[in-house]
Amino acid sequence: MDPSDGKGSLNLMVEAVALNPAADSSNAQKDTPPTDMLRMNQQMSNQCFEMAVQLQAGKSKRSCSTSEAERDLPVYVKELEGVKTLNFNSTLTLHRMQMWHAIGETVKGNYSGSVALKAGNDRCMALCSQIKQCQQESKDLQDEVTEVLKKRLEMKRLIDEKMKEMEDLKSKKEDGFTEKYKAAMEKGQENLEKYRKLGVMTQNVLRGIILACRVNWMEDPTLRDIAMTLEDLPFSD
Amino acid sequence: MSRGFVYNILFRTGIVLSVYIRMSLLKPFSKLPGLNAANILLVECEEQFQKSLADALVEETAVTVYVRLAKSLPLPKENEESRPRIDLVVFIINLTSELSFQSAEASLKYLDPGYLLGKVCFMVTNARNASVPTERLDAVRKLAAALHCPLLFAEDQTPDGVTYATKRLLSILKVSAGLVPMATALYLSSLTSCTVPPDIDQPSFD
Repeated sequence: MDPSDGKGSLNLMVEAVALNPAADSSNAQKDTPPTDMLRMNQQMSNQCFEMAVQLQAGKSKRSCSTSEAERDLPVYVKELEGVKTLNFNSTLTLHRMQMWHAIGETVKGNYSGSVALKAGNDRCMALCSQIKQCQQESKDLQDEVTEVLKKRLEMKRLIDEKMKEMEDLKSKKEDGFTEKYKAAMEKGQENLEKYRKLGVMTQNVLRGIILACRVNWMEDPTLRDIAMTLEDLPFSD
Repeated sequence: MSRGFVYNILFRTGIVLSVYIRMSLLKPFSKLPGLNAANILLVECEEQFQKSLADALVEETAVTVYVRLAKSLPLPKENEESRPRIDLVVFIINLTSELSFQSAEASLKYLDPGYLLGKVCFMVTNARNASVPTERLDAVRKLAAALHCPLLFAEDQTPDGVTYATKRLLSILKVSAGLVPMATALYLSSLTSCTVPPDIDQPSFD
């Protein structure tokens, strides 16, 4: 395995392709070869990198157990991922800076597109300030809405409290009322029973008197009325 | 004749045999890579799924994909010169046959260890078949995890299944061939390698 030789001939091959873009005449368009060649260049650099990694691995051969290697692997992978993310973010930042620099240069110099660019820029600024204004307004409105909501919540809380109080009072009043009512009812009923018994007894006595006197109560109207009323009441138990 | 017999016996002893194997190893970096091209080798014992996969793979337009088919390794020596550098070796294992798994395992011996850094992939078919014993899938999983290779499951009976398998193979192939700017095969394999769940040896509920 001799990747270093391969690398050398690879470079030669890439140079040959770069010097003869006509050799790439399989793509008929004029503007695709540069991007294609860039892509191929990237591919070749990727391959070279892989071969370099293989060489590196071949050089630093040290003996270690597989379990040790398995333990170390996730640590290295994490490190690698962290570095990759950092690199990616830095590249993005760099691209952003490059873009801004290019835009700045175009606006400063008087190129053909710079007037349109300036106009576009001004419009962007105007829109941005409008956006900021709208955002501020919406923020104020949102604050107001929050205030109203808070007040409503407070109101609700007060209503709940008052309702609770009312419920308590109501239940207390009803209890007292029913108790007194019950007591009065019982007393009334006792009295009723007592007077009923009294009445029945009096009627019995009167009946006994009329029967004992052996008076013909049917002939005398007043006596007949009295005797009729005596029979309306049933016998007591 | 007796000398031929003795030579035969010598030939079968370990020393001579190991030299023979080493000479026929498939090496990843012994040839130059192709420009804007990717070479994939599909190794399958039954030689069925690889044909439909190959047809779907060459339909890729963004990059030229060259597909080579093999029943097992080692590859015949006659094509040694004309064969280009292989970017990705895919072992297709049909879980319903034990022979498929054994053939794949035997072929692994003829693969240079340089391939195991992200240029090998295992593809398994018929994993949903009820007649497949769970030990076979576990064995394949353990093999893929030990070699730090990705393990793909594919469905070979329907055209949709072939399409999905092709898409996934193509994404791994593009990285192996160096066509993806910020990724190399080794990096991808550290992200996609098969892992074995810790309770693989416990009986599953069926």
